Amino acid sequence: MSAESQTFTERYDLLGCIQCGRCTGGCPVTVRANLNVRRFVNDAYYEEKLDELARQAEIWDCTACHTCAVRCPKGLKPLEVLLGLRAMIIESGKVEPTVRDALQSVLLEGNPWEKSRAARSDWMEGLDVKIAEPGVPVENLFFVCCTIAYDPRVQAIAKNIVRLLNKTGVDYAFLDDSETCCGSEVYTLGEEGLFEMLVEDNTEYFNEYSAKRIVTLSPHCFTTYNVHYPDLNKPVIHYTQLLDELLKEGKLVWKGDLPKKIVFHDPCYLGKQGGVYDEPRDLLKSIPGAELLEFERCRERSLCCEGGGGKMWVESESKKERLAETRIKDAKALGADIVAVACPFCVLTLEDAMKGLGYEEEMRVAEIMELLGEFIEA
Amino acid sequence: MKTIVCIKYVPDTSEAEVKVNPDGITVDSSRFSFDINDADNYAVEESVLIKEAKGGEITVVSIGPKKSDVMIRMAMAKGCDKAVRIEDDRIAGHDPLMVAKVLAGAAKGEEFDLVLTGCMASDDGHMSTGVALAEELGVNHASMVKKIEVLDGGKIKVSRELEGGLMEVVELELPAVITIQTGINEPRYAPIRGIREAQKKELKVVKLDDLGVDPASVGPDASQIILEALYIPEVESSAEFIAGDPNEKAEKLASILVKGGLI
Repeated sequence: MSAESQTFTERYDLLGCIQCGRCTGGCPVTVRANLNVRRFVNDAYYEEKLDELARQAEIWDCTACHTCAVRCPKGLKPLEVLLGLRAMIIESGKVEPTVRDALQSVLLEGNPWEKSRAARSDWMEGLDVKIAEPGVPVENLFFVCCTIAYDPRVQAIAKNIVRLLNKTGVDYAFLDDSETCCGSEVYTLGEEGLFEMLVEDNTEYFNEYSAKRIVTLSPHCFTTYNVHYPDLNKPVIHYTQLLDELLKEGKLVWKGDLPKKIVFHDPCYLGKQGGVYDEPRDLLKSIPGAELLEFERCRERSLCCEGGGGKMWVESESKKERLAETRIKDAKALGADIVAVACPFCVLTLEDAMKGLGYEEEMRVAEIMELLGEFIEA
Repeated sequence: MKTIVCIKYVPDTSEAEVKVNPDGITVDSSRFSFDINDADNYAVEESVLIKEAKGGEITVVSIGPKKSDVMIRMAMAKGCDKAVRIEDDRIAGHDPLMVAKVLAGAAKGEEFDLVLTGCMASDDGHMSTGVALAEELGVNHASMVKKIEVLDGGKIKVSRELEGGLMEVVELELPAVITIQTGINEPRYAPIRGIREAQKKELKVVKLDDLGVDPASVGPDASQIILEALYIPEVESSAEFIAGDPNEKAEKLASILVKGGLI
C-alpha cells in the first residue's frame, strides 16, 4: 500500500499507541515549548482534526531527537506524527521563508544552505584529497555533508580527516561536487516528495561507486542513510567508527598532549538513533593527558542540542532557556574545559550557547576531529 | 482576471566570486547558482493570490535557456497555469527595451487584463523592462507596487513605494502593467509533488519568428545600447580600527560620527 493511500492512523500505527505518555514525559523540548506529542498522537486519530493540528505552531518545536521513539514501550515513533503534520503544511507551500529557501536550495543546488553546487568541494583547496570515481574500487567512500562542506566553522572536520587519512595510509576517496544532500533535514521538515527524490537519486548515485562502505562525517547523514535508504548496496558507518578501528589496530599515533577535562555530548543522531556511543569516547580517551568526564544525562539519555529536526531553519516561539544553554551550564558545573561533540549541528548550537552565556574564555566546544587534528603528526 | 507574469532566470551573485570573461563584456557564470529573480518571485506570488481571490488564469512568460524550465515549473506548482519560454540567441538581452519588445510580442498572443513583472532584475538592475513593456503594449502602468486591490469595473488600485516610506496610491484602468516591489507578500514554497504535477501543464518553447517578432528589431543592431565593458570596481581600503577599552572606543567612534556629520 502506498503512503498516499494510507490513512494517517494506518501510516503511523496510531491504534498501536496505549497513551502511556512516556513520549511526552521524556521529550526534552517540553521544558521550553508547549509540545505534547502524546496528545498529537491521540488527536491525529480523528481525520477531521488533522488540518487544525497541522496549524499548531508547536509541531515545529520537535527536534527529531527520537527520545520519544527510544522510550516508546510499543516501539512506535511518536515524532513521525508531527513530521506527517508538517508535511501537510509543506504541501500547501505556506511555510516559513527560511524553510522555503532551505528546501528550494536542496532541490536546485543539492544543499540546504543556499550555496552554489560548484562551491561544494572548495574546502579541499590546498589539500591532497583522493577523489572517487564510479567503478574504481575503494574501501572507504567519504560523504562530507552539506554543513561541513560549506560552513567555515566546521570545515576543519573534513580537512583534518583528510590529513589523518593521508597519514595513516587508509584506502579512501571523497566525492566531488556531485555529492548531494542526504535529506536528513528535508525529511524532518516534512518535504516527503523531495526526500523520496533524494533517496532515489542518491541510491542510484552511490550504487555506481565500487566502495566497500560509505563513511559519513555527520551523524545526520549516517542515520539517514542507514534508516531511510533500503536499497544502498553498501554499509554506512560514521567516521568515529572507522577511526576507532584504526585506533584498535594501533594505527593512530598522537603527537603532544592535552591535559584538559573533556566531556562528550552524545549527538542524538549518532547515539539514540545510530547506537554509536563508545567509539567517540574511545577516541577522546586516546588523546594523551585528556580526562574524559560524563554528563549525568549521557548516552541514550543525552540532552538534545535542538539542532536537528529542521530546527536550523525554524526558530521556536519560546523565549525560555535553550537546551544547548542547559547543556553548557551542565558542562560548566562538571568543571569541563572542553565540550566535545561529533556532529556539525551540535558544534554550532552548543558554541552559540557557550558564547551567549559568556563562557568563551574558560571553555571550548569542539568536534572530535577538530581536537584530534591538533595531534596529527606532521 | 487573466494575468501574465514575466519572470527572469538570474544568477545569484551575492556570495560567488564574479569574474569578467576575456571578452570584457560577459561574466563567468560557471560557478553561479541560478534562480528566479527575487522581485519576480513576488510577482508570481501576487498573481497567484489574485487568482485565488478572484479566479482567472495565469500565463508565465520568460526569456531564457532550457535549464530555466525548473523555475517555470516552480511557478506552475504555485498556481500559474501555462507558460511561454522564448529561447532565441538573436535577442539583445542587455537592453531592456529590446527585452520589452520580445515580451510584448509574447503578450500580444495572449488575452490579458494584467501583466506583472518584478520591479528590478537583480543581475543588471535596470528597473526598466516592465515600464517599457507597458509602452510597447500601449497600456497603463504603475511601478514599485507594494499593494494591489482589484476594484469593480475593470480597475485596480495600487500602492507605489516612494522614498522615505511614503506610499502613492493610484487607480488604473485595466489592462495594465504593474512592476512588483519585494515585500508585497511572502512567496510560498513550491513542493516537489506540485512541481511534478506541473509537468502536465502547457509550456510552449518559442522563437522570435513564432511570436511574429522581427529578429532585426530586437537584435544588437536595433539596440541603442552598446555594452562596452564590465569591470570589478577597485576595492578601497580605508578601514580604521579603533583601539582602547569599550568606553574609549565608543567615545572615539562618536566623535568620528559627529565630525563627519553622520549624526
